Amino acid sequence: MNPGEAYLLPRDSPLEQMATFAGVCGLVGFVVCGAMAVATPAAVAESYLFAFLFWSGIPLGSLAILMLQHITGGAWGAVLRRILEAATRTLPLLAILFLPILFSTGLLFEWARPEVVEHDLVLQHKRAYLNVPFFAFRAVLYFVVWIVLSHFLSEWSRRQDRAPESIGLRLENISRGGLLLFVLTMTFASIDWAMSLEPHWYSTMYGILFIGGQVLSALAFVIPVTAVLAARPPMLEVMTADRFQDLGKLLLAFVMVWAYFSFSQFLIIWSADLPEETPWYLRRLSQGWQWAAIALIILHFMLPFVLLLSRDLKRSRRWLMAVAAVVLAMRAIDLSWLVLPAFDRGGLLWVPSDFAAFLGVGGLWFYYYVRQLRSAPMLPLNDESLPEMRGLQP
Amino acid sequence: MSAGIYGLMAEFSDPSALVSAARKTREAGYVRIDAYTPYPIEELDEAIGIHHTRLPMIALIGGIVGGLAGFGLQYWTSVIDYPINVGGRPLFSWPAFIPVAFECTILGAALSAVFGMLGLNGLPQPYHPVFNVPRFALASRDRFFLCIEAADPNFDADETWSFLSRLQPRQVSQVDE
Amino acid sequence: MADKKPTKGSKQKGAPVSAGAGSRSLSSHLPPVVEPGYTMATVADKISEVVLTQNTPRGWYIGLAFSFALTMLLLVSITWLLVRGVGIWGINVPVAWAFAIINFVWWIGIGHAGTLISAILLLLRQDWRTSINRFAEAMTLFAVACAGLYPLLHMGRPWLAYWLFPYPNTMGMWPQFRSPLVWDVFAVTTYLLVSLMFWYIGLIPDLATLRDRSPSRTGRIVYGLLAMGWRGSARHWHRYEMTYLLLAGLSTPLVVSVHTIVSFDFAVAQVPGWHATVFPPYFVAGAVYAGFAMVVILAIPLRRFYGLQDFVTMRHLDHMARIMLATGLFVAYGYMIETFMAWYSGSVYESSLMNNRFTGPYAILYWSLLLFNVLIPQGLWFARVRSSTTALFMIAISVSIGMWLERFIIVVVSLHRDFLPSSWGMYYPTFWDWSMYLGSIGLFFSLLFLFLRFLPMISIFEMRTLLPESEVKEDLG
Repeated sequence: MNPGEAYLLPRDSPLEQMATFAGVCGLVGFVVCGAMAVATPAAVAESYLFAFLFWSGIPLGSLAILMLQHITGGAWGAVLRRILEAATRTLPLLAILFLPILFSTGLLFEWARPEVVEHDLVLQHKRAYLNVPFFAFRAVLYFVVWIVLSHFLSEWSRRQDRAPESIGLRLENISRGGLLLFVLTMTFASIDWAMSLEPHWYSTMYGILFIGGQVLSALAFVIPVTAVLAARPPMLEVMTADRFQDLGKLLLAFVMVWAYFSFSQFLIIWSADLPEETPWYLRRLSQGWQWAAIALIILHFMLPFVLLLSRDLKRSRRWLMAVAAVVLAMRAIDLSWLVLPAFDRGGLLWVPSDFAAFLGVGGLWFYYYVRQLRSAPMLPLNDESLPEMRGLQP
Repeated sequence: MSAGIYGLMAEFSDPSALVSAARKTREAGYVRIDAYTPYPIEELDEAIGIHHTRLPMIALIGGIVGGLAGFGLQYWTSVIDYPINVGGRPLFSWPAFIPVAFECTILGAALSAVFGMLGLNGLPQPYHPVFNVPRFALASRDRFFLCIEAADPNFDADETWSFLSRLQPRQVSQVDE
Repeated sequence: MADKKPTKGSKQKGAPVSAGAGSRSLSSHLPPVVEPGYTMATVADKISEVVLTQNTPRGWYIGLAFSFALTMLLLVSITWLLVRGVGIWGINVPVAWAFAIINFVWWIGIGHAGTLISAILLLLRQDWRTSINRFAEAMTLFAVACAGLYPLLHMGRPWLAYWLFPYPNTMGMWPQFRSPLVWDVFAVTTYLLVSLMFWYIGLIPDLATLRDRSPSRTGRIVYGLLAMGWRGSARHWHRYEMTYLLLAGLSTPLVVSVHTIVSFDFAVAQVPGWHATVFPPYFVAGAVYAGFAMVVILAIPLRRFYGLQDFVTMRHLDHMARIMLATGLFVAYGYMIETFMAWYSGSVYESSLMNNRFTGPYAILYWSLLLFNVLIPQGLWFARVRSSTTALFMIAISVSIGMWLERFIIVVVSLHRDFLPSSWGMYYPTFWDWSMYLGSIGLFFSLLFLFLRFLPMISIFEMRTLLPESEVKEDLG
């Protein structure tokens, strides 16, 4: 018998039932989207882009955390590692799910409509970068980089399970260069996929603001997953209150980082009040979006911040799970606030196709995620910090 | 009660001995005890019965007061007492008030934490009886001391002395007032 | 921050538990934090000997004399400045901000590593910080003091500096709180006060050690007063540890906010080259980069001069080199994204600024910046470079120069081409610009030499907690 067998996802884990349910939701969502697309293709494309950007944030953020963990080490990383690796292995699925966006650039992006570019000097200037073939080429490049990184990170991590010889150094090395590559590719991906929706607007902070949000999404996703897994062995053994506290601190740190980036960008643009920059915020602070903005301040920052200061809360599995769930929900609101005001929706914040696309992409993604989670032991068996952690159990 | 005596002090040469001696002392029913060590030893907290400190709460209150005061100051000066138009910005320019309010929050919390700590510890304290023990100077080097104070209800000069001697210290000394 | 458990000396917390002990892969192939063979007594002796000895080493006198001479140059420059006014500098319109602001930002950036080492690494339970945090904190204070000089002197009438603070006055006026320069006053003041408290609180137990060990009566009195009657009571330690953690928790966002606000000085304006949203994190990364470079510049000669190689080991230098590499890469990212956006924006002002950086009259400085700040530090990727003190020292010097050039580029190159070509100008530093700069370096080193002579440069009590004998062996009988 394989020594890792005992560490596989239990067949009766609640995640399995959730995965089935999610798969059904995903199919239904896609069917509904498809039906709607016949009538209003542009609206569905907008919703789909938002859903894609939200759900792809989780594996991409996981990739960043995974590499960060290989560089800095620590027990929190060892317990999260397989959960993160499984998330990064969903990137091939996301590459496929990106195809609809690639084929609807004309519906989504002003710069992809020749009749608009023809009358716009700025867009003509940007045509060297913002054009469909180059956009497609870059998207392929980004996915290749991410998938290759995630492949080797998972592969070598699994090899470490079979052979006790330490492969840690190799993982550390690939993570260093990998993190650098990730930040670069993700910066340009965020410019391509989200910032260029309003092609006149630009902000040098955007890339890292986006990456910070993805890392937060990933954390807010893996914390509830870990918490569910921690209800039974094998994760039960290692997920002590100390581990949850580590995760809570991490969540607190990234909630603060998100608030810091968001506020800095806002304050700089608000203070300078330049005509080429402020419209971006004006659209996001009018027509109802101001309520989303206020909700973001309160529920995306203040509430999690205050709650996560408490030591007892971070050490409680249920409470931490609840706070992370709130943050994850607010991540979706934040993404919609970033993306959707770019489109003219006549005063509506969210339309039915948003929900359909959100469920469609999310359902399929989650189903695939649990499949990936199932395929490897949930703990890195030969990780150096693991025996220590387990040795502590009473 | 013995007049002129602050307490009795036992000297140990390693932290493990001190911690186990402190536990035994507590078990023997002494409550007015303290340990003196060259560096913080977390196990002692539980061994001599130290409870959670109020400092985080003090710092939190200090921070909130500082932040509100900082924001209030800016609001009052910019909107009420000295309203001037700066580049067409609103009088109540809340985004611009956040940096100063933030700094005031940190300053308030840090000052309350530091002065709260000094206050609760009763520092600065120019005189304390434990310094009358000549070997106590080693408490800042590599020796560990356990002191049972005369104010303890169970304190009895002779009995406590022999109790401390049984804990295998290097030495037991009397601490004069 | 109600949750922070007193876990500073992570050793007694029971090393196996320490969750983020953080050095999984590092501990296995790196030298230890303290070389073996030390006891609590010898650690205290070795560190306090530097302070308590009657024979001051000759090198110390030479170093102090040299730095003090430069400090005198600073005093002369300030005196002349007060007599003649800021016209003795090379500043003009359009370049009204030059050396004063460059040096302010440079110094305050250097001042960031101390608090970063003390606070963030403490929260991350990185025990290697212990032997470098004390002098890094001192470095912070002195750097902030040097930084603070410049805006005050640049005001033209520094004797009215108190006008910056909000106080009820007969003029019926208040500071203008929408200005980042007023935010700076609050940020720098708070930073100075909190760093001072952090440093002093950290010193108290060591001052008690010096009080108890000082051979001279003056020493006992002075250290005794400063130690405030510290007696190492377990109850005191408990609150002390909590305070220290609280200060660490507060200093971490503080240190980020200070350089963020410094970056706002530029970024909230509309000047191309200043108005960039990436400035806050990019300035913070640059500050940490410059700060760690300065810690390396100081640590390498100090450990050799005072024979402290056993406490400040190669592992410390390696960690600092890694942090420099990471922050340096982020700074390079800042250059990259600024350049890209200058093109992407399609704004003529942005792109002509970039053109001016690459090919204008100060282009040589821009290309040197890339050489010193981006290219040379890439050597830090290699373990062989990180394990050579000479190479590390040279790279740290290169980073210090590079970060200074970066501020020059930001301040001068952005200003000297105004929106209207009729307002274009050039800036050339004068003798007094350079003398103030060199003088402030002299002040920094004078303060540092005094600190090294009279206060323990490594935290004695925290070093004790790193020793194996400090662990409590539980006999749960």
